[in-house]
Amino acid sequence: MTRAFAITLNALGLYAVALVLAGAFAAQLVLHELPCPLCLLQRLQFAVLAIGPILNVRFGPRPSHYALSLLAAVAGAAFSTRQVLLHILPGDAGYGTALFGYHYYTWALIGFAAAIVLLAAILLFDRQFEQGAAAEQPAPGAFATSAVWLVIALTALNVISTLLECGFGACADNPVVYELLKRQG
Amino acid sequence: MEFTALFLAITIVMVVAWFGRRPLALALFAVVLAASVATYLHHATDALKLSF
Repeated sequence: MTRAFAITLNALGLYAVALVLAGAFAAQLVLHELPCPLCLLQRLQFAVLAIGPILNVRFGPRPSHYALSLLAAVAGAAFSTRQVLLHILPGDAGYGTALFGYHYYTWALIGFAAAIVLLAAILLFDRQFEQGAAAEQPAPGAFATSAVWLVIALTALNVISTLLECGFGACADNPVVYELLKRQG
Repeated sequence: MEFTALFLAITIVMVVAWFGRRPLALALFAVVLAASVATYLHHATDALKLSF
């Protein structure tokens, strides 16, 4: 795997994270389902997952950048596993709406597990690292640059969204209204 | 409020990773990851009704 191809794969990974963040927003806005604290933590870990690929696009692929994403994915998998276990007993309807038979936290667990496997797989290809850390990294193309800015924009939108949802206090365990809009209304 | 702060921190780390120095981005990443784990531990208070 060449360095350029690895960067393209990292850009695709960023688009995948952007898709997850956009999908979470779609569920929140279309279905009017506010994310709970554990749901927000999983959304947060998907955003943290994107920092490794951003560094790979900017500075070139390095094992340490992939390690950052692996750490984020493991933490995200732990958070989503806890929420799966909270609702695992028979008769528990789960939290929120199910999508294709699974709740969002189950999809999140599948997503984080897939990320761990894909990151391990891409680390198998040593040629992407051969140019060395001291070599000058060519400027990223429009495809990769767009991916980076898309993820940054969606993460920034979450700053506004969580501020509206939680207000200036602690987030409710089962939020049903936007705290900041309720106070102003 | 803690989630707003965390998402803001992640946005800053991303911008630093894109425009700034690599060691600073790595250090900020460590801070954000530690803060998210601490937030998780703060919220994970309900006992899991499981038997292994």
